[in-house]
Amino acid sequence: MSKKYYRFFGGLLKAQENWLNKMSEKGYRLIRTGRMLYEFEECKPNQSKYCVEFIGQKSKDGAKDYHDFFEDMGYKVFYKNINLNYSVGKVRWRPWAEKGGRIATNATTFNRELLIIEKENDGKPFELHTSHKDKENYYKSLRNPWLMILLMLAIFAVGNRSVVFGIFALISLIPVLVYQTQILKNRQDAKTKEW
Amino acid sequence: MRDNAKSGALTEVTFYILLSLYTPKHGYAVMQFIEEKTDGRLALGAGTLYGALNSLQDKGWIAPCRDSEGRKKEYLITTQGKEIAEKELVRLNELVRIAKGIIGGTA
Repeated sequence: MSKKYYRFFGGLLKAQENWLNKMSEKGYRLIRTGRMLYEFEECKPNQSKYCVEFIGQKSKDGAKDYHDFFEDMGYKVFYKNINLNYSVGKVRWRPWAEKGGRIATNATTFNRELLIIEKENDGKPFELHTSHKDKENYYKSLRNPWLMILLMLAIFAVGNRSVVFGIFALISLIPVLVYQTQILKNRQDAKTKEW
Repeated sequence: MRDNAKSGALTEVTFYILLSLYTPKHGYAVMQFIEEKTDGRLALGAGTLYGALNSLQDKGWIAPCRDSEGRKKEYLITTQGKEIAEKELVRLNELVRIAKGIIGGTA
């Protein structure tokens, strides 16, 4: 008996991760993902653990290589979209992506910005990033898209003298600050500790 | 913390990865090797391991190879990687010898 749920988490990666882990506690494991769809099958409670990873900054080959690496580790991996886009033949420039920006299309990483990684629960915590240096880099890849959104909205707000854009800009400042705090914290820790 | 090319001092993660790859291993086996040898003290996340393997590959200290079935990607230490690891062993031995002389070792 499979069970279907429809949810949209957007950029709230941690919320998505927590929800999947809650479902696992209740005895459901993920078997399929769609735009907003999460399909589960029944299993023993706490059989698996989940991590949600942002990969929007990677190239097509880079994302595939990362995906395959996790599969080789014995994890089950799902691609997931971060936004709700009903689109075909979409081409978008991502200036915040690695190596000074990349073009994302439907054939590459567009609508495949996230990986949901499932591990058989072995009682140990499931973390993908353990060293401070690596955490710093990962939080940077999370901050940069928000930083670009913030800059764009700020320019619109000032250019058009628009309060609405100003409010949106302030809202997008929140994730930038949250991730920036993590970056600085891990950078500081990386000076004296390896992990 | 980063690997210091001049003094040869390696981070623990780097040194353990190099040691684990004296025989070819895929990612999961590297992770298990490190966890076993350190009694679980050093448990690497898969994302961190991926980054570390890639940067060692860029440096030319390890190289990818295919396993016997040609499915999973395996890695093996290179000649250059072995030189680095051996240098680090010499450096650590010197350090231990001097430390024992001052602090007083059990030996």
